[in-house]
Amino acid sequence: MQEMDLYRHTDTVNELLARYGVKFGIYKNNEFKEQLFPFDAIPRVIEAEEFEYLEKGLKQRVTALNLFIKDVYSEKKIIRDKIVPEEFIYASSGYLAQCEGVMPPKGVYAHIAGIDLVQGKDKEWYILEDNLRVPSGASYPMIARELCRRSSPTTFQKTHIADNRNYAELLRKTMDYVNTGGHTVILTPGRYNSAYFEHSYLAEKTGAHLVTGSELLVENDHLYFIDYSGRKEPVGAVYRRISDEYLDPMNFYEGSLIGIPHLHDIFRKGNVALLNAPGNGVADDKGIYYFVPKMIKYYLGEEPILHNAPTYLPLYKEDMDYVLEHFDDLVLKDVAEAGGYGVQFGNKMTRQEKEDFIALLKREPRRFIAQEVIDFLDIDIFENGECVPRKADLRAFVLMGEEPMVWKSGLTRFSRNPDSFIVNSSQGGGFKDTWVLSR
Amino acid sequence: MKDLLFEYDMQLDFAPPVEEHRFTLKCIPQTDERQLIRRLDVEVYPKEFLSTDKDSFGNHSIYGYTKGKHDRFFARVRGQVRTGLVPCLPAKAEHQVGLFKYQTDYTRPGPAILKFAERFEKERTAYENSCETINIAAASENFHTAGTIASEATEPARGSKDGMTNAGDANIPANSALALAITMMHGLYENFSYVQGVTNVQTTAEEAMALGRGVCQDYSHILLSLCRMARIPCRYVVGMLIGEGLSHAWVEVCSGGHWYALDPTNNLIVDDQHIKISAGRDYHDCIVSQGVFVGHTTQTQTVAVRVREE
Repeated sequence: MQEMDLYRHTDTVNELLARYGVKFGIYKNNEFKEQLFPFDAIPRVIEAEEFEYLEKGLKQRVTALNLFIKDVYSEKKIIRDKIVPEEFIYASSGYLAQCEGVMPPKGVYAHIAGIDLVQGKDKEWYILEDNLRVPSGASYPMIARELCRRSSPTTFQKTHIADNRNYAELLRKTMDYVNTGGHTVILTPGRYNSAYFEHSYLAEKTGAHLVTGSELLVENDHLYFIDYSGRKEPVGAVYRRISDEYLDPMNFYEGSLIGIPHLHDIFRKGNVALLNAPGNGVADDKGIYYFVPKMIKYYLGEEPILHNAPTYLPLYKEDMDYVLEHFDDLVLKDVAEAGGYGVQFGNKMTRQEKEDFIALLKREPRRFIAQEVIDFLDIDIFENGECVPRKADLRAFVLMGEEPMVWKSGLTRFSRNPDSFIVNSSQGGGFKDTWVLSR
Repeated sequence: MKDLLFEYDMQLDFAPPVEEHRFTLKCIPQTDERQLIRRLDVEVYPKEFLSTDKDSFGNHSIYGYTKGKHDRFFARVRGQVRTGLVPCLPAKAEHQVGLFKYQTDYTRPGPAILKFAERFEKERTAYENSCETINIAAASENFHTAGTIASEATEPARGSKDGMTNAGDANIPANSALALAITMMHGLYENFSYVQGVTNVQTTAEEAMALGRGVCQDYSHILLSLCRMARIPCRYVVGMLIGEGLSHAWVEVCSGGHWYALDPTNNLIVDDQHIKISAGRDYHDCIVSQGVFVGHTTQTQTVAVRVREE
């Protein structure tokens, strides 16, 4: 093994990650627990040529998704032309009527997209889901790379790996592109958020201010940041890491204490940029996912480069019949859930569970999608001194500035349980660095 | 057509006082095809800054900030409006009013509404069948013009000469969305009692239906729920009615490319006695006064609306 030197340092890197506070917080039974996000030193390696193909497909997909969001909140041509049934839009919890008619600065809605992919045994890549609200995870491979370079510099001298430390630069470019004039801030709900490490790390690396809602205020139709001396400074871009509902108690959830009153009103007036724009959830809903290849054809007139995992919508009769017939071969997902919750495998249910589930499915067909279980290409992890195969996915980051940009790295998450397909960090998975070879 | 003078007063009293008060008010009527605002005075006090905008539903909103301590906050709107200029408002194309077809948390039916809706089964089926006929006809020509079913509708309903329109005698095309909505409005009016104080602003259509009693907000939410069960685009309207009292709520139903206003509390088609302030999917989209402030306080809201003929 060529990178033996790197693997020897796994424990050191994990210790350093713990010291830097690279943690992931989860709520379970109403209790907040912080967990380390275990790092595995064997990188996922993607050849330059293969990544070029992914890059093209990802740019195409995120471009189409942006056009879709814009259309949904303005002209609604895709509804008129019956490409997407309107109930998939209006019944989606991510659709926000408050965003009707809102045009964000430069017309960008999904500035930072986290697209989850898996590679099948046939080496084919499949899109698992799009995350266009507040996708997290870029900071983990960033800091892991930094620590690995420190503990094993020779590995990175010998191998031609695209430098991934430019994520901060890409993010800064994206934020500056839409900034309406003023400071750039990263808005965090606070240190009890599961991704607080990431918020602080990205602020440090991009030079943006890390702020909470109480440090921002709307006055005279503009947003201001109150600094430590009480001085008011104008803000032109907010990379917000709080969800839509909590952004502004005057326009969304009234009980929000972490939001900024009237923020949405001045966003509507074009006086501040919000990254990502509120209302994006309409495009990353698990039900809408089914329609993304159709969107690509509709808006861009191109064939989709990257494919979805074969998906069925039980709402359609043919699809429901198929789902009932092939129940044991499918994975069923609740469209309203995220983070690996609400995912069930047909063949893992007991007879009673299956009956109950089918009854629920028939009652609320709009609530679920069914997908073929993809035969993942396992990748190796180091466990107790030996290499063992595990399921893994890849979250690729696409940033939408003047042009779409794909970060030459990504977050590879793996399941520590050999029998599990669920890799989400909120379910206790680990992560790896993702190396994109530079030649 | 009438020339109406209106006064809208909303006052909040805080004990003890509050500070850092941010507010949004949607209490200003605006000119549309049906009503012409001829004079308008708005006073909001106290305020440090005030701004205006239109929300996603096109409603006029004013919002602002009051920093210092205060125990009273008020908005006074005075004006003169010519109402009843036309019987209905033009609606956007069908694909753009879709969001008004879907139930919200306020209107989602439960057992009580589902049971009540059974009595309209026949009319609803007739309406749904007629929709399919129109849709197929439209689709065979050019599905882009699906929004112009308007041509199917005859002359819009006309108001009677004096007083309120009797919802029964208007010239309404059979099996139209409007006809179905009116039938359901009649049914609701006969089976629901106007009683104040038994429901509140959080009461859903289903809760009110189960109770059998309520106020204009409840009548409106139930009618919306019934219309949406038949996939009729419809919206909640807040406004003022001739006389003295509180603000009023009613419903607009999209039929044949036009919005028709129905007042289920009074069982009538809106003519020239109503002044519209705002519209949305339900009460929540049209909240007249909203605020957040700092202070542990008890607030009392007083609303007084006076509308009279000039």
